[in-house]
Amino acid sequence: MEVKRPSNVKTAISAVIPFVLLAVMIVYVFGPGSELIGYGILLPDISIEKIEFVDSEIIATVRNTGPIPVDIVMADINDRIYPAAIEPDKHLERFQSAIVRIPFEWNEGEPYAVGLTIDDGTRFEKQVDVAAPSIQPTVEMIAYFAVIGTYVGIIPVLIGLLWFPFIAKLSRNKYKFFLALTVGLLLFLGISATEEAIKISAENLSDVFNGALLVVTVAIVSFLALNYAGEKLKERAGASKLAGPIAIALMIAIGIGLHNFGEGLAIGAAIVLGEAALGAFLIVGFAIHNTTEGFAIAAPMARTKLMIGRLAAMGMIAGVPAIFGAWVGGFVYSPFAAVIFLAIGAGAIFQVIVLIMKWIQNEEGKLSNSSVLAGIAVGMIIMYVTSILV
Amino acid sequence: MFTNRQKMSVVLVIVSLGFVGYLVFPAMDITAQEKPETFVTHSGAVVQTTGDILDPVYTIQEVEFDPQKYLREFDYGKVSYLEDGTTLREFTVIAEDDKMMEIAPGIFWNVWTFNGTVPGPTIRATEGDLVRIHFTNNGSKEHTMHFHGNHPAEMDGIFEIVGSNGGQFTYEFIAGPVGVHPYHCHVMPVEEHIGHGLYGVFIVDPKEGRQQADEMVMMLNGFDTDFDGENNLYAANTIPFYYQHHPIQINTNELIRVYVVNMLGLDPINNFHLHGTLYEYYPTGTDLIPSEFTDMTTFSQSERGILEFEYEYTGRYMFHAHLTEFSEKGWTGLFYVKDSSQLNTEIYDYGS
Repeated sequence: MEVKRPSNVKTAISAVIPFVLLAVMIVYVFGPGSELIGYGILLPDISIEKIEFVDSEIIATVRNTGPIPVDIVMADINDRIYPAAIEPDKHLERFQSAIVRIPFEWNEGEPYAVGLTIDDGTRFEKQVDVAAPSIQPTVEMIAYFAVIGTYVGIIPVLIGLLWFPFIAKLSRNKYKFFLALTVGLLLFLGISATEEAIKISAENLSDVFNGALLVVTVAIVSFLALNYAGEKLKERAGASKLAGPIAIALMIAIGIGLHNFGEGLAIGAAIVLGEAALGAFLIVGFAIHNTTEGFAIAAPMARTKLMIGRLAAMGMIAGVPAIFGAWVGGFVYSPFAAVIFLAIGAGAIFQVIVLIMKWIQNEEGKLSNSSVLAGIAVGMIIMYVTSILV
Repeated sequence: MFTNRQKMSVVLVIVSLGFVGYLVFPAMDITAQEKPETFVTHSGAVVQTTGDILDPVYTIQEVEFDPQKYLREFDYGKVSYLEDGTTLREFTVIAEDDKMMEIAPGIFWNVWTFNGTVPGPTIRATEGDLVRIHFTNNGSKEHTMHFHGNHPAEMDGIFEIVGSNGGQFTYEFIAGPVGVHPYHCHVMPVEEHIGHGLYGVFIVDPKEGRQQADEMVMMLNGFDTDFDGENNLYAANTIPFYYQHHPIQINTNELIRVYVVNMLGLDPINNFHLHGTLYEYYPTGTDLIPSEFTDMTTFSQSERGILEFEYEYTGRYMFHAHLTEFSEKGWTGLFYVKDSSQLNTEIYDYGS
């Protein structure tokens, strides 16, 4: 140990030196007194991320997404100036955000535009198509979202698990087909979560967040983290013969759980945004769609002894997050949070796909088996058809 | 108990969670002010906040330009007499274009000015006076002064462009016709030069004078602060909502004469509406007989006129653009009418 220590220090120093040199160069180039980069004008930018309608008040959440600090100095509704309050204060450093409260007797169902003007006179605006009262986290609403989450997440997944005995009786080849079918289902879910995350970021997040790159980065980090966790899980339970399939089923359940959280978010947000019809549509669509997820969990376990307790537990792991998603989506919806959760879900799903493919390969020795390829294709087609309902 | 690697990953996870949490819920700031402040809405409701108030109406704001002073300030020039007895009025006007002015509470904007303010000074002469204006352009761009009214072509401020950084020109003409006229810079693009504030009011009084009255000037203007082709702020005399916060004090049964000039750009029309009484309207002020007895006048670009009225009853009366978009973006104000039998009592301090 004592011999090693100096080398550790040396290693640390050698790691730090390039950073120090970089810092010196940056200070020299950009620092005070530097005339090297004096061109161009930094334009301020703010984003109105969220607009809520409460009793006699419209509340806008604003973030400084520009390169320089700004002061918010004026608020308007439909281009008419109104007295307002900004909390915690009107000065916003980069990335800082604040709440602007504009007392206003708004009418339900009408469109509104909220405008904010900064200290240089630039006005920024966000439109709301339909004004609807924002939902408060009362006991009734919490229960309401829990019930919806149950219908969307838990019950369909548990129904899907009832395919267990059917899968258990299948021949080896047919079983492979259904396992591959699961891959197809998940592949579709992973792509759809990524697409949804990119869409939300494009519509609601400022360009400064690099929406698509944020989604890809979070998804890959989530993939790697779950991969690591999955390996550990297998190591721990290595002694047991059942560990393999159960670990896979658990990973699938976790991945699907994250995905269902995203679905809950979508439903909660749709209801909050006053799009009750869309909300109802999502509920029916996701419920049908999610039955296939129960199947995905059941498939890898079908060659083990039926353990109803474990199976049900996995169903809950996959389904319950829909309730949390509905709560978050309904009460504290933030587009940034939605993008992060959807991207984590996508990463989790892709990780599960890799896991199942490995499993099939171990069993079969190759992946290009015709029943495997057919299974993946059919899985994707099933998902596409049920997704039309959403 | 823990390996370094585990510790590192725990730290990494906490840091990244903290960062994500900050971005998701940044509004939960523990440094918020402790004692709440209150403000009053347009409809009279009182609202409490722990943060800052964004209020163009009720906040006392020290704006550099004082609309209360501008309202009744007339520049008659340096007076001397020619050999033939003609009154000579000499004015010095300096144009600048690098000034940042607080044109509304918290909004700092680059204004181009005659004598440092938007609008420029109200230049006033009597019909037949010789007006001589010593104009210096201290701006970084070319500017001129173009007066509406009678004058020789070379005094029109169109072709005699005055160069930047100290260029000089002397405008000289006989004041006329009687009325209220605008003056403004006429260098192209004119919309830009006017939009930034290079304009003012020029009043020519009839030789016989007008009836004694409480006289004031209202320049109807606006600012497109973000250059999107639409005005963000509207006002009478530059500062939005100013006279709503600081009502113009007048007396009952006293003749009030308002010289109104519309220099609003971008919007095709503007208008003026008075509450609680009607006024005699003199278009352009060129005729001494009113054309109309009304409470509503529409103005196109640079259209102007003189309003004369009296109030019978005391109290607060609005005057504003009946284009409510303009009034709710600042072009609105109040007359506070006091009983003329109780003159010079306490100063009314409204809304503070």
